[in-house]
Amino acid sequence: MARQTVADGVVSLELAASSGESLPPWQPGAHIDVVLPTGVTRQYSLCGPVKDTARWRVAVLREPDGRGGSQWIHDHLVEGGELRVRGPRNNFPLRPAARYLFVGGGIGITPLLPMIAEAEATGAEWSLLYGGRTRASMAFLPELEGYGERVTVRPQDQYGLLDLAGYLGDPDPSALVYCCGPAGLIDAVEAHCAGWPTGALNVERFAAAAVRQPADDEAEQPIEVELRASGTTLTVPPGLSVLKAVEQAGVPVLSSCEEGICGSCETSVLEGEVDHRDSLLTDDERAANDTMLICVSRARGRRLVLNL
Amino acid sequence: MTLTQHVRNGWYLGAWSDEIGRTLKQRWITDIPVCFYRLPDQTVTAVEDRCPHRKYPLSLGHLDDDGTLQCDYHGYRFDGQGVCVGVAEQADKPKAALRRFPLVERDGAIWIWPGDPELADESLLPDTSWLTDPNWTHVHGVVPLKARHMLLLENLLDLTHETFLHPTSIGNAAVAATPIDVTVDGDRVGFSRRMIGIEAPPFYEKSCGLTSPVDRWQDGDFYPPGIFVLNIRVAATGTEEPDGFHMKVLYGMTPGRGNETHDFYALGRDYLIDDEELTRFQHEQQLAVMQEDVDALEAQEIMYATDPGGTAESSIKSDLAALRGRRAVAKMLTREQQAGGTRPRASA
Repeated sequence: MARQTVADGVVSLELAASSGESLPPWQPGAHIDVVLPTGVTRQYSLCGPVKDTARWRVAVLREPDGRGGSQWIHDHLVEGGELRVRGPRNNFPLRPAARYLFVGGGIGITPLLPMIAEAEATGAEWSLLYGGRTRASMAFLPELEGYGERVTVRPQDQYGLLDLAGYLGDPDPSALVYCCGPAGLIDAVEAHCAGWPTGALNVERFAAAAVRQPADDEAEQPIEVELRASGTTLTVPPGLSVLKAVEQAGVPVLSSCEEGICGSCETSVLEGEVDHRDSLLTDDERAANDTMLICVSRARGRRLVLNL
Repeated sequence: MTLTQHVRNGWYLGAWSDEIGRTLKQRWITDIPVCFYRLPDQTVTAVEDRCPHRKYPLSLGHLDDDGTLQCDYHGYRFDGQGVCVGVAEQADKPKAALRRFPLVERDGAIWIWPGDPELADESLLPDTSWLTDPNWTHVHGVVPLKARHMLLLENLLDLTHETFLHPTSIGNAAVAATPIDVTVDGDRVGFSRRMIGIEAPPFYEKSCGLTSPVDRWQDGDFYPPGIFVLNIRVAATGTEEPDGFHMKVLYGMTPGRGNETHDFYALGRDYLIDDEELTRFQHEQQLAVMQEDVDALEAQEIMYATDPGGTAESSIKSDLAALRGRRAVAKMLTREQQAGGTRPRASA
């Protein structure tokens, strides 16, 4: 295990198998689970060269408001230390295309690095819009600047919010958009890509926190839930579950335990970010943001679109 | 929970090594009839138990000393690779080959991969070295079960049933009263229940000579679709690891024909390994506990089989590992179906 600081609050770790064996193969977009001694599991995207089976590179942003996973890595993990990892697994695979538009925000640059290398290797047309708080907080700038004009670096303290409209332009059926970054950036990119062909936009959100119960002082907000297959939109007030609202609207839906355990009410999520409050889904299933247990889970934003 | 199909891209326990010799043994696995036997060099082999000619069971045929398998209906003969080497009726060899299944024989167990041979991956098998470790001793066998393997899986992933179904042996109030931690690693589902300062159940009082209070740990790992390993540790309360009594139970939950399942078991321990009286007692108890499970699962099977519409099930928090196990198998099945099934090529 080797570590180096690659930006303000970001350390890059190089991991090798303690046995000295070669590491399992992976594809751009893959992540590993790091099982920390504190008992928490964290997902980090592999961001080194795909061909390197001797070493894996991940980058970890210190998150003072997190649950202590990144803090432990920053404060206690030393060169040569050991980490338990599982994987790799890939919920964010790079599909073949003639043209790629990459959008990275902050530490969300990590899964995009091997994607860019792959796009470059296959001769596809590609570009990257990379945003962050400040230039000093943005990791891997030196290696990205080697790509020249294809890369646009836009730290927020100098340029403000990313000009997504100018960058993404009109829908291009030959292009795929890949975006990873904070929720606000992903929501904005989703809004800009509303007119693009289905499947053109591929996003990876940072894994949602595990089961969370709203604190007593946390005011619940009403949310808007569109039931796309039924062509109705419901407002779900605080205190009413999405399941109950759907039932009251007369839309048939299976359910059983109403406590987020059994999975009977599992529903496909088409748009919006889920606030998972069940105890059944795995971290990977939550992070994929494409399914939810509507008896207990709600929305992180104000709106969800469900396949009901 | 109606899984009428079986995952085939996965390892199942096909037989114990001591079950297979120079006699042909038929065993249905995931609705496929399989014929197991050993070649003269003792390597184990498994072929689909249907003669390519008119589907007569090859297990009703015979094995020559040189390892040639003959169908005893019209005399098709097959070499050790399953390729037809001739028939008595004509000089030309028929173009026929048997489907052979990938096998791994390790630590006295024979694992079979009934799906696409290209996907058979030995690294998916659990560690079974304790079955041959000189510091351990074990008993093993197989029990027939007339119930779908998912019911057995849920039985093992939710051990709270011990409190109610096995109260005279391994269960007491502490099991149902202690919640589990559930972990998921890819397709694998694990659970851990740590019972601290509890009353010793009768089996452990007798098996370990322990008096209450004891600490009892159950750490289970489900390797979908059909392998379960339970690590057990029992010790006087306050004993530090690695002291204490350790046991392991391996279950091979192998779907057979229709909704029948082969319930393979191996029970091992790392203490008093030369005490044959204790081995006999533990084996009797294991079979008694399994019979209680078989009776319960067969009663349950009738209720699931006669309720095809599926009345709603209630679930509680202690079902979490079993529900995740269900989902893991369902996901594998979906992946298999999306990949266009598992039609293997005959190896010629």
